[in-house]
Amino acid sequence: MAKHDTPLLDELEKGPWPSFVTDMKRQAETHPECWDILGQLELSYKDKITHWKHGGIVGVFGYGGGIVGRYSDVPHRFPGVEHFHTVRIAQPSGLYYSTKNLRGLMDLWDKYGSGMTNMHGSTGDMIFLGTRTENLEPLFWDLTHNLEQDLGGSGSNLRTPSCCLGESRCEWACYDTQDVCHHLTMHYQDEIHRPAFPYKFKFKFSGCPNDCVASIARSDFALIGTWKDDIRINQAAVKEYIAGNYPSNAGAHAGRDWGKFDIKKEVIDLCPTGCMWMEGGELKIDNAECTRCMHCINVMPRALKPGKEKGATICIGAKAPILDGAQFATMVIPFIEVSKENEYENVIDVIEQVWDWWMEVGKNRERVGETMQRIGLPNFLRVMEIEATPQHVREPRSNPYVFWREEEVEGGWERDVVAFRKKHAA
Amino acid sequence: MAMSVEEVEAAMIEKATKSPKAQLYIKDFYECDSERGPRDIKNIANGLVKKGQMMFWSSGSTTMYALPSRIKNEEGAEGVN
Ligand code: SF4
Ligand code: SF4
Repeated sequence: MAKHDTPLLDELEKGPWPSFVTDMKRQAETHPECWDILGQLELSYKDKITHWKHGGIVGVFGYGGGIVGRYSDVPHRFPGVEHFHTVRIAQPSGLYYSTKNLRGLMDLWDKYGSGMTNMHGSTGDMIFLGTRTENLEPLFWDLTHNLEQDLGGSGSNLRTPSCCLGESRCEWACYDTQDVCHHLTMHYQDEIHRPAFPYKFKFKFSGCPNDCVASIARSDFALIGTWKDDIRINQAAVKEYIAGNYPSNAGAHAGRDWGKFDIKKEVIDLCPTGCMWMEGGELKIDNAECTRCMHCINVMPRALKPGKEKGATICIGAKAPILDGAQFATMVIPFIEVSKENEYENVIDVIEQVWDWWMEVGKNRERVGETMQRIGLPNFLRVMEIEATPQHVREPRSNPYVFWREEEVEGGWERDVVAFRKKHAA
Repeated sequence: MAMSVEEVEAAMIEKATKSPKAQLYIKDFYECDSERGPRDIKNIANGLVKKGQMMFWSSGSTTMYALPSRIKNEEGAEGVN
């Protein structure tokens, strides 16, 4: 595989920032197929169209996911990328790798693939970019037997669950995200490796509403840590912040002089629900109005902490723009206990209630958020056997008609539609 | 009378043979036994894959089922992951 002229791509090497073009050229020194990626990409820039074809029957035996077939549609010009499959490697919970494990993975990929990786893909997996069909089974064997690691999910499967690092390093974690993530990964092996659903389904676990894995935007099922009781306030520490003795945001924005810390401007006035105030030199919070946005806690971590009665909020149905536009997940269950003791049984019950319904009524290639949109939130809540609360209401009603179901009206009613239609044809 | 697993498998293979399209969604198999739930149908379809009588075809974002005899190897299609 020879070097190609890439004047358009070479432009991307100019400027002060790192360039993937430079990286690929360096990689091509040991993996010449990378010259062909550059050549094909240059052609795409010229033709203004992709030259990749996706999909196919590539995979490893018994797995319906984890490998995404990719082929060049101009293989005669770029034989090095005739096959250029993507392999998804399940990441460890919280993305903790040992250097030994990383070296093992890189050696594996140098042996069987292009050596190019994407750390990490948007689902969370480590993505290995570019290999041939005949390399897949040996790679899978080495991955599972030597490194004891697994492929991630792709296709209409449960995608590799992902989580923030949670209790391992973060004092704000309201539940053990890594443990839930690992537990559900093991519990749902079949769903991860074999297609089960109308379309993809993603779990993401964040320990608090800072939502470091962006679960509310990027997962069909987001479990976001929260608390039920009051934010814990250390008034002495509040005074230290006001006096400028503690750096706000734990010094995270200390690179610039922002002037003296102003609790009114930086905390109280930015509280989205306006539920904070100072009284007699003390910070007060009307916790019933607090939406657990984390802002005040982020700014004054030594003074404020999440409450003690911890659990999580379940939001369902986020997705990227595929059929309709992108959407955030909808809050469905405001608070659920997340407990190791019962092996997360109550969380699992909610997941399976969603799946059972969606597998039945979801259309092909319809994300659960789209199915929810199609039937409407009131109907979805009925499916989930959840009573609507004010927090489920996004906006005042725009439909002037009120529809009652029989069980909602005292005495109910009996209706013989057949007899009615005999008199009043539809 | 309820259909046996073998009967459902036979109905799935027949559907995959006769369908105008080589690749079928899992939902297309639901009608092979309307008394069984989606999970059961999925497990039976995956059992056929294990036995080599059916294959997965994946676009990256969606996975479909097909008879090995009806799809060409290494055939890509436009799609997203
Ligand atoms: S989501 Fe919350 S708990 Fe998890 S790492 Fe981020 S700040 Fe910490
Ligand atoms: S967490 Fe957010 S909503 Fe609650 S008191 Fe703090 S700033 Fe206000």
